[in-house]
Amino acid sequence: MIQPFTPEPIRYVAEDGTPVQPLPARFTPELLRELHGLMLQAREFDRKLITLLRQGRTTFYAQSSGMEATQVGLARSIRVGHDWVWPYYRDHTLGLAMGVPMFELISQCLGTNSDTCRGRQMPHHFAAQAQNFVSISSSIASQVPPAAGNAMAQKYLGVDEITVCTFGDGATSEGDWYAGLNMAGAAQAPALFVCENNQWAISTSIREQTASETIHIKAKAYGMPGYYVDGNDIVAVMEVMTAVAEGVRAGQGPALVECLTYRVGSHSNADADAEKHYRTREEVEEWLGRDPITRVEKLLEQLGHPVSAEERAEIIARTHREVDEQVLRAEATGQPDWRIIFEDVYADVPDHLRQQEAFLRAEQSGGPA
Amino acid sequence: MTATQDRQEQGAVGGTRTINLIQAVTEAIAEEMERDNRVVLFGEDVGARGGVFMATAGLQERFGKHRVFDTPLSEASIVGAAVGMAVRGLRPIAEIQFADYMGPGFDQIISQAAKIRYRSAGQFTAPMVIRTPSGGGVKGGHHHSQSPESYYTHTPGLKVVMPSTPYDAKGLLKAALRGEDPVIYFEPKRLYRAAKGEVPDHDYVVKLGEAAIRREGDDLSLIGYGGVMPDLEKAADALAAEGVSVEVIDLRSLVPWDRDRVLTSVQKTGRAVLVSEAPRISNFMGEVAYVIQEQAFDSLTAPVGQVAGFDTPYPYVQDKVYLPGPNRIVAACVQALNY
Repeated sequence: MIQPFTPEPIRYVAEDGTPVQPLPARFTPELLRELHGLMLQAREFDRKLITLLRQGRTTFYAQSSGMEATQVGLARSIRVGHDWVWPYYRDHTLGLAMGVPMFELISQCLGTNSDTCRGRQMPHHFAAQAQNFVSISSSIASQVPPAAGNAMAQKYLGVDEITVCTFGDGATSEGDWYAGLNMAGAAQAPALFVCENNQWAISTSIREQTASETIHIKAKAYGMPGYYVDGNDIVAVMEVMTAVAEGVRAGQGPALVECLTYRVGSHSNADADAEKHYRTREEVEEWLGRDPITRVEKLLEQLGHPVSAEERAEIIARTHREVDEQVLRAEATGQPDWRIIFEDVYADVPDHLRQQEAFLRAEQSGGPA
Repeated sequence: MTATQDRQEQGAVGGTRTINLIQAVTEAIAEEMERDNRVVLFGEDVGARGGVFMATAGLQERFGKHRVFDTPLSEASIVGAAVGMAVRGLRPIAEIQFADYMGPGFDQIISQAAKIRYRSAGQFTAPMVIRTPSGGGVKGGHHHSQSPESYYTHTPGLKVVMPSTPYDAKGLLKAALRGEDPVIYFEPKRLYRAAKGEVPDHDYVVKLGEAAIRREGDDLSLIGYGGVMPDLEKAADALAAEGVSVEVIDLRSLVPWDRDRVLTSVQKTGRAVLVSEAPRISNFMGEVAYVIQEQAFDSLTAPVGQVAGFDTPYPYVQDKVYLPGPNRIVAACVQALNY
């Protein structure tokens, strides 16, 4: 039984890799190695995408380095392709860990013909039907009321799915956030709200964001339990998240989980020099000391199953290779053509769009516009 | 569809009944809920109370609280939840108590409902209907009388509908619910009980995007939608008494709107007067006027006339003066006729 509303974040593993409470039996060295591999892959994916950005092959990227335990832990706590996820824009690690093919993520970031979203959205705003990973929107917190509705539909349909809705700390200031949580609470819908509290909304700190000491405490106002988790401890994230998700599935109503973590990189390429403008190097260094990947490595070392330098290098090299391959593969599909402008606005293309399409067709073919 | 066509369709299958516009809304919802158990209805006070205008009276009793339910007082929740339900496979009808209150739900309408199909390339879609009483003439003051349809016609991905007869109210709502796109369905509240008319006993739909010719005429095309339509008819009567033959067109839906029927009419009459009670600046009728001058310029014998609300918040005491009304419509027609 996981306790809600704890004053301190729930954790299983200290920063130096020492378990602070007995490790649940399922966390075998094999599972921990697998989780470590996923987190390292996600971090290297970040690194490679920043390179693509610098090369001008994509135009926007929002890193999740430092937040891997929260996102990988969440992905491994739900039923992928069965449950529904309304993510936010920093969730590519969540997508990767849920099995969204790297090719799809890269295609979306590059806006190629292979983008399942057909180049309609800015990079890093993907959707994946097979995983029920619903389209990412830039409009902060606007996914929260729809997630409540998705969960209400699941209750109406009598299915044993849950809806997961993620957001950053900044989103919790938006009206849509309050509206969505209140709605889900009132409807007792199977919704799992996950705050990936990385403590910065672009350059606005959590202290400037809210006078509330924590985010999870706000759950009280909506009649749901709020859980406070060390978001850099993947064991804690998975233990709490799995238990809470299954409680939600069992009909206990919605829940809010706050994962306290940290965005090590900048918000996006739009503020590449975060330390210069709004936060200190000391703060970043402090959080680097709580790194989720290093923590699992130290834990594995203590358990007598260390990840060797060679194994680590192999995961990194494999990820870099895979990204390079998928980039070339995606780029080879070319760019979606002008027709994508008019399709998918409505179920059928209405007359006024047909006329505009005809205008653009003529213009594009060099004929009379 | 012309009045004649209406009668033919009704006559082909069976009898008709005379009901008012709000009964038409209730019947449409009830019949669609009967037909499709994915249809759910919710909003503020729609359940036991049956809505502030009683549009949903008796539906909770008939279909149960799981299908007809009251929500928290939050338009963002109501609209947003409808999006999520639609994405997960239901056919939600979200009632916003007054169109004036759509503001808190605006982000959900334009960021989520309107765009999810486009941005996911059809992987996720939101077929849903937002119903809301709209327009003035009921002594409601500015938070109960506005006509905000133009905001929504400006957002690709949404369909926008406003009926003026019970026949259309029922048929358009059914069509909206059977469609695959999000529809904003404005109900002209001053016609809820004032507009009475025949509806067929059998099931029917009115396709979105087709205007209705309410009466045929040769001298001028008088075009409107929603709550102003009875005033267009009165203006046409007054002009007929003076020997002027007016063609009256009800757009019925604004997105998509029936360019062909409008243009054909204007090409025949050579004059157009457009009527809407919404404020004039960025009024949807400005788009209609633009298309008429673009596509039928050579047919025009006078500038396109426009009668709209004033660019002020809706006034409480002087609302009869604010609304276009038959006199102002006649004056605009006379100006076009005398040009």
